[in-house]
Amino acid sequence: MVYSTKTIRNVMLATGVALALSLGVTQPAAAEFPEKPVEMTVLFGGTAQTISQLLADLMSRNLPQPVVAVSRTGGGGAVGYAHVQSTAADGYNIVWNSNSVSTAHHKGNMPFNYEAFTPIARISIEVPALSVRADSGWSNLADMVEAVKASDKKLKVGISGNGSFTHLTSAALFDNLGIADKVTYVPYGKGKAPIELLAKRVDAAVQWPGQFISHQKSGELNILCVTSEQRIALLPNTPSCDEAGASGLDITMWRGLAAPKGTPAAIVEKLQNAAKAAAESGEFQEASKNIGFTIAYLPAGEFGKLIVSDDAKISSLMSELGLKK
Amino acid sequence: MEILLTALPLALDPLTIGLVVLGALLGIIFGSIPGLTYSMALVLVLPITFKFDAVPAIGMLLGTYIGGMTGGSVSAILIGIPGTPSAAATVLDGYPLAKSGRAGLALGTAVVVSAFGGLFSLAVMIVSVDLVARLAIRFGPAEIFALVLFGMSTICGLAGKSLLRGLVAGTIGLLLMTVGMDELDGVPRMTFGTTSLLQGVHLLVAMVGLFAVPQVMNMLADYKSGGQALYRAKAVKTELPSFRQLRGNLSVMIRSALIGTGIGSIPGTGGPIAAFLAYDQARRFSPNKENFGKGELSGVVASETANNAVTGGAMIPLLSLGIPGDPATAIILGGLLIHGLAPGPMLFMENKVEVYTIYLAIGLAYIAVVLIQYFGIRLFVKILRVPPHILAVGILVVCVVGTFAIRNSFLDVYVMTGVGLMGYLLTRFRIPVTPIVLGLVLGETMEREFRTAMILSEGKFDIFYTSPMALFFFGLVIAVIAFQLVGARRERAKLNSNVQEKAHAEN
Repeated sequence: MVYSTKTIRNVMLATGVALALSLGVTQPAAAEFPEKPVEMTVLFGGTAQTISQLLADLMSRNLPQPVVAVSRTGGGGAVGYAHVQSTAADGYNIVWNSNSVSTAHHKGNMPFNYEAFTPIARISIEVPALSVRADSGWSNLADMVEAVKASDKKLKVGISGNGSFTHLTSAALFDNLGIADKVTYVPYGKGKAPIELLAKRVDAAVQWPGQFISHQKSGELNILCVTSEQRIALLPNTPSCDEAGASGLDITMWRGLAAPKGTPAAIVEKLQNAAKAAAESGEFQEASKNIGFTIAYLPAGEFGKLIVSDDAKISSLMSELGLKK
Repeated sequence: MEILLTALPLALDPLTIGLVVLGALLGIIFGSIPGLTYSMALVLVLPITFKFDAVPAIGMLLGTYIGGMTGGSVSAILIGIPGTPSAAATVLDGYPLAKSGRAGLALGTAVVVSAFGGLFSLAVMIVSVDLVARLAIRFGPAEIFALVLFGMSTICGLAGKSLLRGLVAGTIGLLLMTVGMDELDGVPRMTFGTTSLLQGVHLLVAMVGLFAVPQVMNMLADYKSGGQALYRAKAVKTELPSFRQLRGNLSVMIRSALIGTGIGSIPGTGGPIAAFLAYDQARRFSPNKENFGKGELSGVVASETANNAVTGGAMIPLLSLGIPGDPATAIILGGLLIHGLAPGPMLFMENKVEVYTIYLAIGLAYIAVVLIQYFGIRLFVKILRVPPHILAVGILVVCVVGTFAIRNSFLDVYVMTGVGLMGYLLTRFRIPVTPIVLGLVLGETMEREFRTAMILSEGKFDIFYTSPMALFFFGLVIAVIAFQLVGARRERAKLNSNVQEKAHAEN
């Protein structure tokens, strides 16, 4: 039923445009976009929400109408994606997306995939990190791998949830290190993995660097490596996993903006430019240092290519793990 | 001391004071309207704080959080619908008090003990943040599961006359909470293949439905039959509890504040559990046990002290470990981060001054809350003069708007209505609705922690009986159930002998 209204709307829109063209009217809709507030659907709470609220605030300064961050959480992002996907492709409904567009689809929680959206711009990336307790005596990745291989016990690794991004990252990492069969993943909701590590209930945790840094400074945790190919600005002295022994590993989570498929290019470009200005502003850079993410603006075209290649990567990783539906 | 002197002018800056008060006011308004929560108020306030420095910004967020926590009691007492999940236990005695014409006293007491609970937890935080944090992290999945099971055992006290009916209600709550995406495995449950149901039944949506819909239906039904559903509010005065009333409840207040602070400091538990446990212990150790649920002031004291003590408790893992305990503190964490204050052990070394201004801001927020509520009560009680049938319509409108606004989902409005109609039918069968709320509140944590514990132990049950802390709580559960069974048997015996005597006398 939803589709039929959408189809009707599209037909009406098409008729309207055809009529406008036949009458020789220039496209006023696109030229004046936005005429009303733009709604940015946010799929998750926590850091994702904080960044989105700041981004929306900064984008509003570069547009005649405000951008409003609206939270639609649930289903690992599926609820929010489904909402935006069902709205008109006019640029007034955009989504603060991430690799979750691939994980939610391949898990079978979402009947459509990234192709239902038009990319606008990538804004930032976040890189998971592997951490262990300082009293484990493991000061680098090789120490840990050696100890795990020598031990007859399994390594308990705290992650966010089965099938979550940190799970996929850990699986790829331990597979690369050749110890995949000696690892037990312990899923914790809501970012509790770091304290479970501190409390000695798990041996390692794969989470976001911001959750570990303060404990590393206080000397209780060691961050062994970050999963991107390059080191990250937040942790200049921490090697990448690639350097530390997991050669070829390169996993990062991106966040960006997308609109329903079929949104006119002129509107996408306006949103892309507003996003670019926001991402490059001093305030956003300040926030990136404080919150612990990396600003990584990419225009719509390149962002689109990245989504396609990452989707293939995630899909094959999930099939290996038996998580793909 | 030196740090305190540096922090004092920062916290007492007019801008900071103004923002704390404004936050508290917003929090109270959002907290007191069923369906609008302080989490929502925090999300709205967060972008406003971007423009300010760290101290006034954090002050405003804390004011909102604290105002919201106390505001939940207003609607719980006046109209029997909790404004926030943490205030669900306040309804039990607060609403009967209001119906008997003592709304002013109930509200006044709620404000005073809220401030007591909040400041108590603040003091605990200042004195022993590190110690409490170290203790709190010893609560792993097995221990939290045991604690939550103990929380579940309070159904015994809430079930009223029939334990069976209480258990039926608790089970309905547990079942409702399984709808949606399973957090640990990311698989859909009871969604019938739809994407929209993946969001699950939101605790607040179900709670608003359970309390508001039957209330509204009763009000309208009574109007039609010419009766009066709501009590006639004569001149309700703001009546602060007398010194004697407070002194009589001092031990309840202290125990509840300890429960609230302790539970608040364990991430993933939170206000509703603390309030129900505090209510249950107050009832259990009270000389007028039978009066609970019928308008006993101690019931309001227990739940309101505890849920506000949670605020300070929850700040402990947030500031010292960087772990938010609930959605509200997660938003405060975002606010702290964006202003360059990264919570964790280093915060207390690198940002000592800011930490002390946070303490001062919490204290300031409680002063603001007490003042606003004290003068606000006169205004709040005016709602009781609205004719019930008109008030009923107003409540319904607010509930629909509120449940929609939680996640911008219209499905939630349907869920609220559906759960509400079910609640109405259940009350007709004399099945109490409060245990449903308990099942909803505790079910998710209970299931998650149990499963995580089993994964940790690689499928062995020894994780539960090798932990002394878990054993302690399991012991409490057994004790509660045993007391309940013995008590029920004794009551039945008494009833039987009464009947026999009566029969004897008639012969």
